[in-house]
Amino acid sequence: MNRLARAFVALTLVAPAARAQDPSLAAKLDRPTLLAVTAIIDSARAAKLPTKPLRDKALEGAAKGSDGPNIVVAVHHLSIRMGSAKRALRPGAGTDEIKAAAGALDAGVSTHDLARLQSAAGKRPVTMSLAVLTDLIGRQVPIPTATDLVLQLERSGVKDGELSLFQRNVRADIDRGADPAAAATTRARGLVQRGGGAPTSPRSSGRAD
Amino acid sequence: MDRIARELRQPVRVSSSLDDRVMSAVRQVPPHARASLWSRLTTPRSVMVTPLTWGVLAASLALFAALGAAHAYQDVHRAAAPIAKALFPKADTPQRAQRVQFVLVAPDAKKVAVVGDFNGWDASHAAFQAKHRGGGVWSVTAPVPVGHHRYSFVVDDSVWVADPTAPRAVDNDFGMPNSALVVPNPE
Repeated sequence: MNRLARAFVALTLVAPAARAQDPSLAAKLDRPTLLAVTAIIDSARAAKLPTKPLRDKALEGAAKGSDGPNIVVAVHHLSIRMGSAKRALRPGAGTDEIKAAAGALDAGVSTHDLARLQSAAGKRPVTMSLAVLTDLIGRQVPIPTATDLVLQLERSGVKDGELSLFQRNVRADIDRGADPAAAATTRARGLVQRGGGAPTSPRSSGRAD
Repeated sequence: MDRIARELRQPVRVSSSLDDRVMSAVRQVPPHARASLWSRLTTPRSVMVTPLTWGVLAASLALFAALGAAHAYQDVHRAAAPIAKALFPKADTPQRAQRVQFVLVAPDAKKVAVVGDFNGWDASHAAFQAKHRGGGVWSVTAPVPVGHHRYSFVVDDSVWVADPTAPRAVDNDFGMPNSALVVPNPE
């Protein structure tokens, strides 16, 4: 009964959905771009990847006046990064985590470090940790340093609100002229000490594998 | 020897009531349980059914059919839920939102809007038009769904500016920077 029901419902729902095109995409993209983006989205859906980030990426490209091929390439790259991110995270990772992890991969974080971060967090969502990690890298904190600091914060059980405050403090320090790595390390040490342990020295150089 | 043979050749005289007495004795022996059940199941017999019995029987059948249909419905519903969720993620799970304030200092701007994943990157979205609060400060507070978003400010419909106070989103696919926003679940 279960199998029959599943097969029937899947056939009923999938067939029209595969032919459907998102009306908001159709309004913003030219025909060839729309077809290519829809194909990528269909493939992502078949691979059980979230599709909204891909749709948003295409809309972002259209809003920024990018041409069709650039939009298709950006959407395709995002789908690849989300696939890698999904494999690195826990099986039940949500859309936001996969999206944030894809952003971290884009910033240069390795899938190995994504898995370490997920392991440190356990079942807690890593969305905020990944957003902070990506921000630190964007503010010129070396990738190994930023990764180790966020890992230590995650292992210390730091909450999302504290991570957000940490990010703001580091940004303020850098804006006032501090060295990015020194600012991040100092702020992380303070946060961890309040939580019960001091971070070890982060790796000083080299890109994560 | 001859006498014995002669005696045996004599015809046996049986009482005429013997059959009746034997059959009567057999009928008085209690029947074997298994033979009795089998006999009951296989022996044709007439059954008297009252209209009330027919009614009870029909009601039982109807109840059985209704329970079966309800079970089948639950089965199909359970099977369809994950498929429908995968295909139409927003159809049955309305996204919760929190009001978020966006602030940009842009003394020379004539118009500031916020665009991002939460509004389809639509610079004309009415809820995300910032107002000038004086002193070059522009702000708008709008509902943003729980989750991770990328966004940017659009100044005077042409200049894209990342939020200087927010985490940076490094994905720079279209040559203009974005900011990241994580809206936490209120629970």
